[in-house]
Amino acid sequence: MSAQRGTRSPVGKNASGPLRCAQRLLRRRFALPMVLAALTVILISSPLSAQVSFEDIRKGPGADWLTYAGDYASQRHSPLKQIDVANVRRLVPKWTYHVESSRRLETTPLVYDGVMYITGTNEVQALDARTGRRIWIYDDDRAMRQGVNRGVALLGNRVFFVTSDAHLVALDRRTGGVLWQTGYAPAAKGYGASSAPLALKDRVIVGVSGGDGGIRGFVAAFSAATGEELWRYWTVPLRGQPGSESWGGFPADYAGGATWMSGSYDPELNLLYWQTGNPWPDLYGKPRGGDNLYTDAIVALDADTGKLKWYFQFTPHDTHDWDAQSIPVLVDMDFQGRRRKLLLHPNRNGFFYVLDRTDGQFLRATPFVEKLNWASGIDREGRPIVLPNTDPTPAGNLVCPSKRGAANWNSPAFDPATGLLYVPSLEQCDIYTTQESVPEPGKGLDGGGADEIPSDPGQFYLRAIDPQTGKRRWQYPMTGPTTMWAGALSTAGGIVFFGDDDGQLVALDARSGRYLWHYNMGQTLTASPITFSIAGNQYVSIAAGSDIFTFGLFQSAQDAAASSLGTRNTLPPRSVVRGY
Amino acid sequence: MCDSLLSDSMRFVLVTLCMASCVALAQRRNRDLTPNPLAGNPEAIAAGQKLFVSACGGCHGLNAEGGRGPNLADGRLIRRSSARTLFNVVKQGVPGSDMPAFPLPDEKIWQLLAYVRSLSAPAIESPPPGDVDAGRTLFFGKAGCSGCHMIFGQGGFLGPDLSNAGEAHALKQLRAALLDPKSRSTEGYVGVTVVTKSGEKITGVARNHTNYSIQLVDASGNLHLLSTGELRNVIWHDGSIMPGDYATRLTPVEIDNLLAFLSRQTVRPIETKTAMTRNYR
Repeated sequence: MSAQRGTRSPVGKNASGPLRCAQRLLRRRFALPMVLAALTVILISSPLSAQVSFEDIRKGPGADWLTYAGDYASQRHSPLKQIDVANVRRLVPKWTYHVESSRRLETTPLVYDGVMYITGTNEVQALDARTGRRIWIYDDDRAMRQGVNRGVALLGNRVFFVTSDAHLVALDRRTGGVLWQTGYAPAAKGYGASSAPLALKDRVIVGVSGGDGGIRGFVAAFSAATGEELWRYWTVPLRGQPGSESWGGFPADYAGGATWMSGSYDPELNLLYWQTGNPWPDLYGKPRGGDNLYTDAIVALDADTGKLKWYFQFTPHDTHDWDAQSIPVLVDMDFQGRRRKLLLHPNRNGFFYVLDRTDGQFLRATPFVEKLNWASGIDREGRPIVLPNTDPTPAGNLVCPSKRGAANWNSPAFDPATGLLYVPSLEQCDIYTTQESVPEPGKGLDGGGADEIPSDPGQFYLRAIDPQTGKRRWQYPMTGPTTMWAGALSTAGGIVFFGDDDGQLVALDARSGRYLWHYNMGQTLTASPITFSIAGNQYVSIAAGSDIFTFGLFQSAQDAAASSLGTRNTLPPRSVVRGY
Repeated sequence: MCDSLLSDSMRFVLVTLCMASCVALAQRRNRDLTPNPLAGNPEAIAAGQKLFVSACGGCHGLNAEGGRGPNLADGRLIRRSSARTLFNVVKQGVPGSDMPAFPLPDEKIWQLLAYVRSLSAPAIESPPPGDVDAGRTLFFGKAGCSGCHMIFGQGGFLGPDLSNAGEAHALKQLRAALLDPKSRSTEGYVGVTVVTKSGEKITGVARNHTNYSIQLVDASGNLHLLSTGELRNVIWHDGSIMPGDYATRLTPVEIDNLLAFLSRQTVRPIETKTAMTRNYR
């Protein structure tokens, strides 16, 4: 039985030249009876490969996990419920896959049709998702940078990823062969890339990193078929363009506003919601007088044209490196008496925001951390009420949240059943210092520093926030060295899974926050978990350090035999084959 | 914050690029802050080979293709490391591994590295003469390569993708793969037919397998992810499915043309200054 779930239909009649050629070759090389039988299979019952369609991704996760944050709304919520509150204690490791030469995997695996796609530094690997055995690897050892990567996008029979030096690459999902590759930002000018692309309709959307060294950020769309650039939206306006008055004449070329995380998408409105990063120099704000549009914001872009529909800036004139990188979570719910299309966003600056995503209207912001001393609140227009003496100084100024922020790129999850947003939250302050001159752009210099306080390193919590009130429903305090970057996942089994600050995958009751299960993977976590199902068995996976861990429910020997997995069946000897 | 993680490598790249703009084509991809002063020097390579056989061959194999120590001739390991990193590996060893320190004079180490690098120098850096267009015609036509191999999405599924053949392999390796496929590893491309318990027969290549599972791709590009518990029989094909008769099937001129074509296949064409900045504004 094949793991293939595609429609079976005869392909022999339409076999292309190369296919006929390959069939001839196999015919020549195999014993005749075998070949006849094999060709019968190929010609009559060979499955046409199923393909990932825009509609498949739009439907949201089911058995598969098809896009970085689960669905376009970035809820990271799965309808799978085989693993539930009652049986999660029977969760056991099913396989571990080691990614050679990796140290800090940030990848969110995607799963389609029994295959898992993961990324490391400038590489993509396809694994058999039931067994963790590698099917193919694509490795770009010519990339000019060696950075982290957060995953692939899937569309049709294609796998898309970005290299650390900002090349977008399209691979054949069956072989890992290259279909096209295009460099979209010059590494020589300080650009990089690290996020999973977002695939929709006929296109692939990407962003750039490098905002801490003085680049000009942008979001760009490429044709999935050809790699042709369709549009590019710059996050910092040029002189004379709307918004340029917010820069005090500072040159746009170095102004920052990087786009180093995947965004979200509303297919009904056809709007992309993309996060923008800090203005540059990060901690030295004097030369860039004004609000510094459109940094530290969410920009809503028409997915067809890249035109700005609206924007909302969280931290005007930022001097604390508070990129708005937490992925926007799109939720439709009754809010303040009427049905609304909401955008939920816990920001690095310590406030949790609720916006109307049709027009960007500010609805409410509430603090979701206690260590917050830079603003007394958010006013009616959504603007922070900044307290005096909270800028970095040459001697150092203690400000909360820390530079890492109260929330960062590690994903929250939203459970429609509980109506709660689960946010990995960091209670931490830093001593912020600043230089008094603009550093040279393109050199990775950010104009200051932020040091943790050794005697008070801070603490991570998983917090369940009710978007209706902005209040915390429950929280789960973590122990650990505040070095993790792990996100959350919620499931219809009533569970919220998340990576903790001690290298453990943890399961909590999504309603109450009650502890259910954990497993120690022994490595610092810098990724978010996913869940998927193959042949009726639900799995949970997460990247940890340099390995991918996959869990499923414990099966008795009897159950295992019935499903034929785990049956010992040694293969015939192959001593004649070279290379093993 | 995450961007700042990259800042070291960014600085590194910037310096490299400044240097790269004024050095020859063959060095255009050099990422090293301290390049090997003897890189590409024929005398140094010869001296390095001699030294390699006596000092390194015991573990890495006399032809550097691996043994107790890793294969140093297939490119991946060597190309991912800078000259300075490799230099330190030789000089200081690798703590916690079997690799001891070799406190040789610096010049000897650079000779060794010049030799090791020469083994995996990509074919594209010194592509052989030949008619590239004629080679392309052969690849997609008479020679039948595209029946199994793909280049930028054109071709078959059973053999390795060759879109990056000129970058990923030395000319010597390409020649050997074409003319003497038995000399090359077939790992990930072994021909196999499996019979499932329901009697279905599937033929293709095993991209991977253990006693418990097989990951098979068939000639139509379908992946079959099978548990061996689901199978009645597995029949392995003897040797590589790559035809072994190209040395006689093609003329010497055709072989040269095919190698000229393959040597120029790259997923990262040379980025001229114009191309690099094309989309910047």
